[in-house]
Parts: sequence; structure tokens; C-alpha cells
Amino acid sequence: MIVRGLAGIALAVGALAVLSLYRETLGVPVSVLALLTTMLFWVTQATSWNILSGYSGYFSFGQAAYVGVGAYTTAVLFGRHRLDFGLTVLIAAGLCAVLALGIGVLAFRLRSLRGEIFALLTLAVPFILAALARINGSIDGGQGIIVAVPDFPASIGLFQDFLYLVNLLVAGAAVAVAFLMARTRSGWALATIRDAEDVGEALGVATFRYKLTALVASAVIGGVGGSIFALQIGFVTVDSVFTLTVPLFVIVMSVLGGRTHWIGPVLGAVLVVLLQDRLTAADLLGWQPVILGGVLIAMVLAAPEGLYPRVRALLPASRRARPVDPSELDIRMSPVDGAETALVECDELTKNFGGVRAVAGLSLRIRAGELVGLIGPNGSGKTTLVSLLAGSVRPTGGTVRIAGRDTTGLPPHRIAHLGVARTYQIPRPFASMTVRDNVAMAIMFGREPERSLTRARRVATGHLAMVGLEKLAHAAPAALNLHQRQLLEIARALATAPAVLLLDEALAGLNPAEIDNAVEVIRRIHASGVAIVIVEHLLRVVRAVATRVVVLDRGSVLADGDPATVLADPAVVRAYLGKRSHA
Amino acid sequence: MLEVSELDAWYGDARALWGVSLTVGAGETVSIIGPNGAGKSTIVAAIAGLHPSVRGQVTVDDEDVLRLPAHRVCARGVAIVPEGRRVFGSMSVHENLVLGAYRRGVRERYRRTMAGVLELFPRLAARSAQPAGTLSGGEQQMLAIGRALMADPRLLLLDEPSLGLAPVVLDEVFAAIGAINARGVSVLLVEQDIDRALEISTRGYLLIEGRIVAGAPAAELRDREDVRRGILGL
Amino acid sequence: MIAVQSAVAGLLLGGLYALMAAGVSVTWGVLRIINLAHFGLILISAYLTFQFASEWGIDPILTLGLTVPVMFVAGGALQWAYDRLGVSELNSLLVSFGLLIATVQLVSNIWSADFQRMSAAVNPYATASLDTGRLVFPITTLLAFLIAIALIAGAHLALRRTFAGRALRALAEDRTIAGAFGIDHRRLGVLLGAVCGATAAVAGMLFALANALTPATAYEWFGTVFAVVILGGIGHLLGTLAAGLFVGALSGLVSVLLSPAAAPFVLFSAIVLALLVRPRGLFVRAVR
Repeated sequence: MIVRGLAGIALAVGALAVLSLYRETLGVPVSVLALLTTMLFWVTQATSWNILSGYSGYFSFGQAAYVGVGAYTTAVLFGRHRLDFGLTVLIAAGLCAVLALGIGVLAFRLRSLRGEIFALLTLAVPFILAALARINGSIDGGQGIIVAVPDFPASIGLFQDFLYLVNLLVAGAAVAVAFLMARTRSGWALATIRDAEDVGEALGVATFRYKLTALVASAVIGGVGGSIFALQIGFVTVDSVFTLTVPLFVIVMSVLGGRTHWIGPVLGAVLVVLLQDRLTAADLLGWQPVILGGVLIAMVLAAPEGLYPRVRALLPASRRARPVDPSELDIRMSPVDGAETALVECDELTKNFGGVRAVAGLSLRIRAGELVGLIGPNGSGKTTLVSLLAGSVRPTGGTVRIAGRDTTGLPPHRIAHLGVARTYQIPRPFASMTVRDNVAMAIMFGREPERSLTRARRVATGHLAMVGLEKLAHAAPAALNLHQRQLLEIARALATAPAVLLLDEALAGLNPAEIDNAVEVIRRIHASGVAIVIVEHLLRVVRAVATRVVVLDRGSVLADGDPATVLADPAVVRAYLGKRSHA
Repeated sequence: MLEVSELDAWYGDARALWGVSLTVGAGETVSIIGPNGAGKSTIVAAIAGLHPSVRGQVTVDDEDVLRLPAHRVCARGVAIVPEGRRVFGSMSVHENLVLGAYRRGVRERYRRTMAGVLELFPRLAARSAQPAGTLSGGEQQMLAIGRALMADPRLLLLDEPSLGLAPVVLDEVFAAIGAINARGVSVLLVEQDIDRALEISTRGYLLIEGRIVAGAPAAELRDREDVRRGILGL
Repeated sequence: MIAVQSAVAGLLLGGLYALMAAGVSVTWGVLRIINLAHFGLILISAYLTFQFASEWGIDPILTLGLTVPVMFVAGGALQWAYDRLGVSELNSLLVSFGLLIATVQLVSNIWSADFQRMSAAVNPYATASLDTGRLVFPITTLLAFLIAIALIAGAHLALRRTFAGRALRALAEDRTIAGAFGIDHRRLGVLLGAVCGATAAVAGMLFALANALTPATAYEWFGTVFAVVILGGIGHLLGTLAAGLFVGALSGLVSVLLSPAAAPFVLFSAIVLALLVRPRGLFVRAVR
């Protein structure tokens, strides 16, 4: 699959190279080559933008920073100091990588980072760099830099041929990188970040690392493209490279073509540059930003997914999924050894939200093989406790240990790798993936990561069978009803090979038949050796499945023990029914 | 005063209410009790116009209010004390109260209304300039009730006022609800603390898994063993 | 002495930044709309002031009689459209970015991309200045400063003392519950958009009074004003005013101590730092 795709890209690059190599034989006008060169420059830039912003959903307004750094590196080192041109391209790539690392480490470490803040942060970067270039005489100093034509083999032909071929090479490489990223683990990781970042993190995706990788890859590609751009324009000024046109163009192109697929920005770049060419021919260049702005608005409002998905819908479905042989099904459960070891240990755990104390000095131990029903009145801190155990909320005080390791303050994906998986009250599937791929991605990033997608998908089918969803493997999550989405949520959590599974109101809103079915599923999972903590309102369900019941009241443990005793405890009844119910 | 008939409600494709019917007479306090997750809050949200996905009929003084936007339900004299209090945390206690009297016809005499509210909750007067987010849970609950009273409602909807409060504070809050009702305001109270709720109510309804399974005078409901078992989910 | 003069001049200029930023900040904070098109409204207002004054010889300040109603309607209409189309926070950034780029180009097509300035004959304010002996201030800057402070202070009071103002702050906190107390977010949103449009008209006039106009100026505001919005704390008017003055004074100082071109460098580094250290804004108390 991957090899075929790369071969396709190489073939396309080869075919396009023929236009220049046999230009005279084919009678291709130089003006066409110039247009194609511009197109390729934008293919590179839009692809660069899309690798971060399209795949992960973090919109950047800072594309001009890479173009500028790339162009100025080449302009200064090659244009002024006559360093080897090829070397300056590499230096540009390196500088952009460092810049991106800086931005990423600063921005993605912010706990409160939201997409809008990231967008504005990246918007600021080109302004800073532009100012730097203006002040610093050894970079620009407000003069602009002339970039001469570099030496190139005479066999290539004209300088335009050289420019075209270099741009073609870079664009081809950029698209290949984007393709590879989309088809490997990074693509899946970035898609989870786009669909539901904290869910991905909780399933074991090291989101910080993948965002940073995407940002650096995007910067390197953008910088290399900018570096060649310096040759193309021949005279580099601050206004020609650090301009808002760059982010406008790449955003319009990617949004137009389709942001979630590697080919979207290519499609968009071709269309926009063609449009630009037609407008120039019609002497309407002055209307171009008006039209592009209009296209951007229309696309965002009417078809935010872009053109590519619509184009693909018109094509016949090419491949059908291979039916799975049940004997291939292979579910790996990884219970932690020793039934008496404490899997989960909380000590003096406290969490305050503003002036409200949601969890107050709570201590609790959960051993392997237990099925703990966690109950308590509304607002008693059950969901907060689940979030504290899974690491998505940091405690105000106290510690959590999982299988003997202190996890207090660890990022959720590390906690997932130690064997904790959770589900959410309101199911949160990754909307852009099929049901099976929702589970497969959890296998690829779980405690025992399976790197091959094909194998992960096969194993995923097994997990779907465990919850009874195997018939819906190829459906989109949106097509599932609530019960099925909750089962998917369970299957996905199970796929991370957890030692302890936290089910947060996994039965809310179900009808009695569905509840019976879900109870069966939970029993089956427990029988396979996974410890389970289930938060549930329906006490009859808790009494039916739990081996132990823990009652919370105002953030601390009110009762703890076997279901029959605890549910008959007057203090528990009072917590549920009110002051006079001492039976 | 309030008549709810055959009310159905959904969250997405999850059904929360199944043909709920209930009434609150003028000057009455009526409780809806039931286990967590039964849909009690959904009823209140639907009446207040805060839950769009509904079917059925809700009339306030014989006027249909279902599917009116919340601000127009408010104009009919319905005020809500939402679950979890939801006071405007960065605004002062005074401002929260003034905002309660936003609706036209009431805002003109907000000073007089406020005097009455502060009489009921003297603690709020002492905290008047403090941001509401820095109040204790009990004080926030009093503020949430006070804010609703500022709208000078004919019908007051209270959603789980006992949530997360210490018993001493609870006594104070429930005493206040009784006093409000004594001033002639009809009250619909959603509660999980059934004893406190039924103590101040004339009638009560038991809601289990989205359906009303019992409706009776409060005293009768209080003593029925099946009600207790139902709420415990046993 | 030169440093003091530039710092104070920058501070005065900062008032105008704050006025431009106020509209963006409040719509963002209250309505969750990041309206970059606000800069487009300011730009159009500046050009309309130029046009009315130069063509018809109206006193530039009196052109407000025409531009304020126009921008009031435009701002309200824009907000109405955002609301009707259900534009989310991130999408508002994209949509209004498209609008801004289109507006700048339209202005350029109508009035050309060249620098244009009201002649001294129609703009008596441009040449007047206030001389305190040691420091000299152009009247235009002083005027901009005073009007900006008056408007922002007025808006701040309105948000605290009027029913509509309090309702807007309630909307910013909890739209659902605000609705249950009779607050109609649609109507108030349109009203807020309209008022922000009116402030854009004033900002545009004040800018045109002191500066030569070119369409690309909108992009220069864009950077500085966003620094002010973020430093001031989204939705906080007094914070925005403080941030505007701070940014103005800082730019003034850097310009004279280092170089004018260094100002944006210092400024944006300040935003980045502020975002990292105090994501809620430099001038917001950390109470919640």
C-alpha cells in the first residue's frame, strides 16, 4: 500500500520532469513551465502547512516564518556570501527545525493552549522575524538582497528549467512526506489529536511528541521551499517573504482541497494557482484577494471538509475490506501478575475546583481481578476520581500509584501505558475513523503497541467481537446508536490492553434490554482478567456485577465492602435518601 | 399554574423522558424525587426552555411555553435555580442579584425586590461586593436562589439545591424554600434528599428511568417503602 | 529627555491601539467571535473620513456623523450574520480573515494602494500641537488619546452599571443561564457588534487625522492590536486600555533607544512571553 503510493508519487514527479527534460521536443512553452513552477512552490507550502494544521487541527497563521527564514538564509549565505546553494538549503532546513522546536516546546507545553491561541501565537512569529531582519544589517537592514543565478549543469537547459526541476523535486518530497505521515502511526496520532485530543492522550498517544514532530516536519519543508523561492524571485525583501499572503494562500488551498487528506493541499494549490493565472490573464489581479477571501469564507461555512472527499465520493470504491477469519482473532489481555497486589493505590487524594472540594483526602486500594462499583450521590466526586486515576486531572494533593509506580503528575498517555484505560460518560469516538479503526488505533498506541496497521485491524476485530460490534466494523461512529457508541468506547479502552478499566457511567441512557447486554459484556471482560471500576447510578446493576462496592460522599469514602453489606448500610441509605432514613 | 403533559425528551438519540405528566397548583410546593440519572433535571430544563430536544406540552397559566426560547419563558414568570448553582462567578454578589431582575417589568423595581431577598438571606448582604465565585458552596446556593427570586417569579424551579452541601447549610436552604413558598410563589423542587424535599412539599412525584411511577401527597410518599427501594435502584 | 518624550508620545498613541483592540476583545470575550474584520471596518472608516473631508470639505471630526451610523449598522449586520451562520470560535478566525483580506483589497481597488493624506486645508488638526515647554505633543495624538480613554472608560462603566452591560458580562460567563434570566443573546450580540462597529468608526477617524492612509496599514494594526488584546486579557476593557498604553509606551521607548524597526520585535516577544506566563492576560487578576 505504502510502497504503491510512493511509487505513484515518484511516477508523477518523473512524468512532470519530462516536461522540462524534453521541453524542446515536446514544444512546451517556457511560460507554462513558469506557471508550473509557481504551482509547485505552493504545493510545497500548502503541504507543509497541512502536515501540522490539516492533520492535527492546530491552525497556524505563521507559514510566512518558514518561507522567510528559508529565503533569507539562501539570500544572505548564497546571495551575499557565495556559499554553496545546496548547502544553504540544508542550513535553512536546520534553522526552520530549530525555530519550530522552539515554538512547539513553548506552545504545546501550555496546559491551557487552545487552537485560537496557537493560531495567534503563530501569527506573531513572522512579525518578530520580519522586524529582526529589518533591524539587523547583516541580514537585510531594510535594503533587500539580490540573489544571483547559481551554477547548474548546462544539460538542464535554461534557468527556468533548473527552477522547475528543483521545485518539482522539493514538492515531490514534501508530498511523499505528507503521504508517509498520513499512512503511518503519526497520521493516526495526528488524526486523534484533531478529533479528540484528550481521548487520544488517555488511550496512550504521546500527543506532545506527535504535534512537535508534525510542526518540525512542516517547518523543514516550508523552509526548503522558501530557500528555493529566493532563487525564483531573485530579489528578497522583508515584504516579499514575510507577508500575510502566504498564510492566506496556504489556508485557502488546504481548506479548498481538503485538510484531512495528503492530496487535498495539492488539489487546492493547483486550483488556486490556475485561478490566479486566469485572473492575471483577464487583468483582474486586483480582485484576487477578494475572490480568495470569498472562497475561504464559502468553504469554511459550506464545505469545511474540502473538495477532495467530494471528488472521492464520485469515484467507484476501489478496495473492499477482506473478511476476517475468526480463527485469526487474537485478543491479548495483560493482567498484572499476583492477584493480591494493589493495582491502584490512592493516598490522601484531594482535588479542589475553585472554592469547591470535589475529592477530599481520599484513600483507596484496588487489587487485580476486582470489579469495583463506585457509587454515591450526585456531586460526590466519582467522575473526578476517575479523571484523577487516568491522569486527565491533576490532584491538588495526595498521590496515585498504579501497579506500584507513582503516577501523580504523569501525562495521561504514560498512565495509559502503565495499564489504565477509561471510558467517558458521553461517548467520544474519533469521528473521522471507522468503528474498527477507532479500536485499531488504540491497539497501535496502547500498552503493547502493535506497529502494523494490518495486524492492529485484525486484532481490533477481536475486540469488537468481545462487545458484539463486529458487524459494524466498517461503519462510521456517527451511524451508531448510543448503546453501540458506548460499547465502542469500551472496546477501544480494552484495546489498550489495560490492567484496570475505568467505566464512567457506561450504561447511562440505555433501555433495560441494552443494560442487560452491557452487563454481559462487562462480565465477559472481567472474566478475561481485567480489573474494572464501574461508576453507575443503577444500584441493581452494581449489586449484580460488582465484587466490591465503594460509596463516595462529598469527596471521601463513606463505605467500602461487599455489595450486600454496603447497600444495606444506614449511612449509605442516608447519603442517598436524606436525613431521616436511618432504617 | 404549571401543567406538564406527555413530555418526552432526548439527548441526541438517547431518550431521557417518556411521557411525563405532572401539575403544580398555585401556591403549591411539588417535589420530583428519584435516583440519579432518572431525568429529573431534564424535566426542569425542558420547562425553562433550556432543553431543545423535547415533545409534548408544557403550559404555564394555560399558555404553552414548550420550545419557547429560555428568555421568553422567563418573561412568563418562571425562574430557575440550576443544578450546580451556576452563579456568574466573576461578577459580584450584588451584580448577580441585579441580573436576576433583568426581565422587563421587573427590572424597574429591582431595589425593592432586592431588599426582600436580602431579608431572606442576610448573609448575602454582607458579601455584596465579593465575586460570586469566591463564596462557599452554601452561600452560592443562597445566591442562586436569591438571583431567581429577583426575577419575581410566580413559579420557581429548583434543581437539586442540596447538591454537595453540608447538613447545617441544608437546613437553612430548605427553610428559605419554605419561606419563599409562604410568600405565594409556586415551587417545583427536584431533589435526591427525599426527606427534606417531601417535608416542605404538598405533593411529590417519583421518577425512575425517565418515567413517573408514582404521584401522591408528600406525607404518603414519604412513608412508602417501595419509593425508597425504587430510589435505591433495588 | 528624548526617551521621555518618545515614551509619552508612545503612551498617547497607545490609547488609539486600545480603542481598536477594545472592539475585538469584547466580541471575543462575550460572543466567542474573533472578528478580524473589525480591522476592515476601521480601515473603511478611515478612508470614508478622508473621502468626506477631502471631497465635501467637512471637518474630519464631524464626519463621525456619517461614519458612526454606517459602521454601527455594518458591525451589527456582521454579528447578525456570524450568529445566523452558526460560526464557531475557530471558524470565526478563518471567516473574518477572509473578510479582512477581501476588504483591504477592495479598499485598495477603490482608493488605490498609494499613501493618501487629508490636506492641511481640510484637516486643521494635523499641524496643531501642544507645547508644554519641555515636551511637545501633536493635537491629533492628544485627541486620540483622550477620546479613546473616554470611550473605553464609558464602555467599562456601561458594562458595570447598565442592565445591558451586566447582561453582556453574564453572557460571557454562562450563555444558557443568562438566557433563563431573560437575556436574549441574539439581540444583545447584534447590539454589541453594532457598538463595536461605531468604535471602529471613531478609531478610523482618529487614525486618518494623524496619518497618511494606505490599505496595508490594516495588517500593521492587526499585529499590534492583537498584542494589546492578548496582553490585556480577552474581554477585559480596562486591561485592554492598560495594555494599549503599555504597548504604546514600550514601542516608543524601543524606537528611540534601539531603532523603530525593533519595536515589533520587542512587542511580539512580549506577547509570546505573556501567553506563556499569564495566558489570561497581563492585566487580569488571577481570580476565578
